[in-house]
Parts: sequence; C-alpha cells; structure tokens
Amino acid sequence: MTFQPATASGNVEAASSTPVLSVDALKAYYRLKLFGIEREVRAVDDLTFEIGRNEIYGLAGESSSGKSTLIRTIARAIRPPLAVEAGSVRFNFSDGTRDMYRLSPQELAGIRWKRLSYIMQGSMSVLNPVRRIKHSFIDFAMPHVPEKGAAFFDRIGRHLEKLHLDRSVLNAFPHELSGGMRQRVTIALATVCGPEFIIADEPTTALDVIVQKGVLAMLREIQRELGSSVLFVTHDIAVHANLTDRLGIMYAGRLVEEGWTRDLFRRPLHPYTRHLISSLPQIGDDTPKKGLEGSPPNLAAPPSGCRFHPRCPLAVDICRRQAPPMVTVTPGRRVACHVVTADPGLSAPAMEEARP
Amino acid sequence: MNTLKILRDLFHYNKEFAAGLLIVLVVLAIAACSFFSPYPPLDVYVVPPDMPPSWEYPFGTTSRGQDVFWQLTFAVRNTLLFGIVVAVISRVISLCVGLVSGYRGGWIDRVLMSINDTFVVIPLFPILVLFYFIMRDQMTWAMLAIIVSLLGWAYDARLIRSIAMSLRTREFTRQAVFSGMGTGRIVWQEHLPFVLPIVFSTTLNNINWSIGIEVTLSVLGFTDINTPTIGGMIYWANQHTALVSGVWWWVTFPIAIVVLLFIGLFLLAISMNEYIDPRSRLSRLGGPS
Repeated sequence: MTFQPATASGNVEAASSTPVLSVDALKAYYRLKLFGIEREVRAVDDLTFEIGRNEIYGLAGESSSGKSTLIRTIARAIRPPLAVEAGSVRFNFSDGTRDMYRLSPQELAGIRWKRLSYIMQGSMSVLNPVRRIKHSFIDFAMPHVPEKGAAFFDRIGRHLEKLHLDRSVLNAFPHELSGGMRQRVTIALATVCGPEFIIADEPTTALDVIVQKGVLAMLREIQRELGSSVLFVTHDIAVHANLTDRLGIMYAGRLVEEGWTRDLFRRPLHPYTRHLISSLPQIGDDTPKKGLEGSPPNLAAPPSGCRFHPRCPLAVDICRRQAPPMVTVTPGRRVACHVVTADPGLSAPAMEEARP
Repeated sequence: MNTLKILRDLFHYNKEFAAGLLIVLVVLAIAACSFFSPYPPLDVYVVPPDMPPSWEYPFGTTSRGQDVFWQLTFAVRNTLLFGIVVAVISRVISLCVGLVSGYRGGWIDRVLMSINDTFVVIPLFPILVLFYFIMRDQMTWAMLAIIVSLLGWAYDARLIRSIAMSLRTREFTRQAVFSGMGTGRIVWQEHLPFVLPIVFSTTLNNINWSIGIEVTLSVLGFTDINTPTIGGMIYWANQHTALVSGVWWWVTFPIAIVVLLFIGLFLLAISMNEYIDPRSRLSRLGGPS
C-alpha cells in the first residue's frame, strides 16, 4: 500500500469526552522461574494511554516491541508466564465502567464479544479447519446474543451480507474460502454481536495489498456503523496512515510517541518515529533509504534510561541514566524523549528537511 | 454419503484396504453364523467325536463331541466382541486423558502423564495372571475386558496428548478461550474432530492387541474357560492332547481364523492411516524426496 499522508481520517471530532479505554501505568511481564533460571521479560513497561469513543487508535512498532503482549493484556487474554505486575485497564462501556483485572470470570465472559471483541493475530487460522463456519459462529458468538436458532442465523446472514459475503459461506469449511473471504468471515465473527470495542491484532498482515485495501475499508465501514472504537495493531505503518485516527508508537515495551495520525506523519517528534516515517517509500522520491543501526533491545535486559538511547542519533548523557517521561508537548500530542521535550523548537525544522 | 464415497475410493485404489475389508467381512460372516448354530455352544457330545473334516462336518469335530465349525462361530463372535469392547473402553479413557492433559497442561498434565507413564511401563502379562489368581471364579469375560482396557489406554493417550498440545496453541483455541468456552466444550467440540481419524486407526490396532492378549491368556487357561473363545478352543484342544492324537483340525482352524482376523484388521489399519495422513499418500508415489 502506498503511503498517502493526506487520507481523510473521518470522525476526528467524535473522539472526545470520556475515553472508552483507559490504560494506566500498565506493566505486564513474562516471568519464568524454572530449573534455577529466573528471567523477567518486561514486554509492557509502564504504559498509559486512552482511547476515545468512535475512534480508531493505531498501535505501531517493530516486531518484539510488545504490541501483542499489550493487547492481550488489555483483553485479559493472558496466561502464564505473562502476568500483570502493576497498573490498570479500565473500559467505560455504555452500561458502566469495568476494571478488567477486578472482574470475576463470569463478568468477564459477559462483556466479551458483546462489548469487547478481539480479532486475533494470524486471524486466518481463527476458524477451526475441521468444522464448518457456522459451527464457529455457534461456538463463539451464540452464547453472547439473545437470538437462538433460526433468528440467530438470520442475524448472522444479515451481518455477512453487510460484509459482502454470501450466506452460503456458513456451510463451507475454512479451507474452501480464499484468504480475503476468510478474513472477512473472521471480522464478521468478531463484530456480529455489535461490540463497543474491537481489538484487531494484525488483521491484514497475511493479505496482499488489494485484498488488504478491501478488508480495511470494510473494517472502517463496520466500525462507523456500529459506532465502536477500534484498537488497531500492525507493524505496517502505511496501513496506519490510511486507517487510524490516532497513532501510538511503541518501542521496546514502551510508548514513545502518540498523536493524531496526520499530525504525527507530518511532524514526527521522537527520533525513532522520525526514522520510522522517513523509511516509508514515496512516489517520486529516489533517495536511498538509510536503515537504523543496531536492533531492538533484549527486553530481558533492557538498556538503562531511555531504551532507545543505544540507537539514537540525538542521545545525550541524561538518556543513559533516566527514562524519559511521557510529556504532552501540544494538545493531543505526547512524546517521551529528553531531547525533544527540552526544546520542541529544535526538532521541528529538522523535520521539514526530512519530509519535503 | 461422503464417507461411502471415501470407502468406495479406498476400495478401488487401495489394494490393502480391499483385501483387509474382504478378510474382515469373511470373519464377520463366520461370526454371524453363530446365530444359526444347530447346537448350543456349551453342550458336549452332540456329534460323533474326532471326525476329520468332511462334507457333513466341514471343519471336523472335537474330542468333546462338538462340531468345530459351529464352535468356531461362537468363538470368533466372542473374541471379536472382546476386542471391540476393550477398544471402545480404552479409547474413551485415552481420549479423555489425552485431550484434557494436552489442553490443560500444568499440574493436570503432570499428574495424568505420570499415571499414564506408569501404565506404559508396568509389565502387562504378569499383572493379568495375578488378577486371575486373585479373582479365580469371578474372572468372567466382562471382567477381563474391563481389566485389559484399563491397562491398554496409555500409549494412545500419549499420542492424543501430543496432538492436543499442538492444538492448544492454535488461534481457534485462543478464540474459544476468549469467548468463554470451558475446558469440556473446547476439548469436545473443537479438538475432538482433529483426533478422531487417528483414534479410528489406533482402534483397529487396539482390537488386534486385545485379541492377542485374550488368546494368550485363554490358551494358558487364565480366563473363564467355559465361554467359547478362540483361545478357549485351543485350550481345550491342548487339554485333550489334540495334536498328539492327530486331531489337528481342532487347533488348525481356530488359529487360521485368528490369523486371518489379525491380517484383515492390520491391513485396514494401515490403509486407513494412509487415507488419514496425506503425506504417506505422496510417499506412495515414490521418487526421491
């Protein structure tokens, strides 16, 4: 998908008032104590952010930056050795606020699918290959809707038609569908109960760009219709540019920058974001792209201070000693970098050079 | 419908399957004849003893005055039924243990697998003989079936567990957990269809194995000798020193039938396996990998 910074991102105004999701100082670690080895992988370390109603919030970052761990933690779909160390995940649904880690299993089952749904990573294989698709709907979605029997299938049928799928796919096995169709079925499965919040973990990664475009447009359409919020995770930054309203950039288990997507693409502040965005190919731009030296840190032994400092061209002494706090530089824009927050004016002109 | 088509194709293209199916059908037909037997199975001296095979007595008669053919029909029926009962009971146990321990993991897995491994390593035969000496007259056919099936589930439970472990990490399992399905429903609805074909194949092998056990025990007289089984027939023949006195047909025909049954079930099992595992179909085409 080509990068188009000027894509209209729709309902920017609607995202306001009380946030649907607030994540507060969340820490989720993988802890392993086995055969005398104690290892702690800080996959999500001190994250705070909010997602408004009717908003598509994108989460970007390279592999092993903790994106999947974060959303599993948000959905409370975690199992050992992953555990939440501190912080809270709070959903503000239309029928009340819920702290995910204070809910009983019954309450948790009560909000899943109905209020909160999750399009899993590798969602191509979410459908059980040896069962017909209607059984997946019966198993996963039926307990969460009031309709049963024929009325339930009527609801599914109408929903599938909205997603440009024929009702007959219900009688098919997953392997009989194309990748794009399977993906649409997966999205249909996640949205059939009309959830208020949808978590999507790399839902289009395995698709080619044409199918990807169709699926993304459909996701956007269904989100508008349901009026739900979406937390959209992918490492494909071009997808974020096209789809999301706001964007958070993760690096090594921490959020390094957050802002309106268009704003962030126009004027990235954090040095990591700047590299990420300048790496995007653009039509007419034939300058060679420069890669970032080094590789993401080992989260079992992360660097001291700012986790980006070993690779950062702007690193100064304080970066090695102290982790930078998330600072709001302009309304709606937060960044965690000592150098940038000390002098926001410094970074702006540099960016104009990088992005003509 | 579909199943019938699969069976038809297997019959056409797979010679082992065709041969196995025919042999098993012949044995089943013999077993079915028991319902038309002119003599009750336990009655003795109903025909002249020690008659060699002839038109009147196709498989000859025993020294106890029983017709070998009709006696054999009961024996095959009981032995086959024994194998099926053992296979079904042990399959249920191995499915439950394998699926639950593979899916749940953790301490449940450790407990179940330590029990499982105990059953894998304990010597089967001495235990069965021990049971016989303790129980003596209470050692009925049904009791033996239960004991053998309690001892015969462990290998397959491990096999099923290994499949369940890989299914556990698949996305649809995560999705099922996320949607609030419990262990029972996940295992029963989502995972069971995956293991059923493999279970079907091992069932045939398990029938073979349990028939082998039954025959061995009966030949040595460690079972209820009054129920006519294949092993039981050989036991009585040995008691009357049939081979020494030249009554070879008393021993030969039961052995021939049980060998046929073994071969038939074995052929079915391996050809099923080929249908279940597509890779072995490819390797059948030959050529270097």
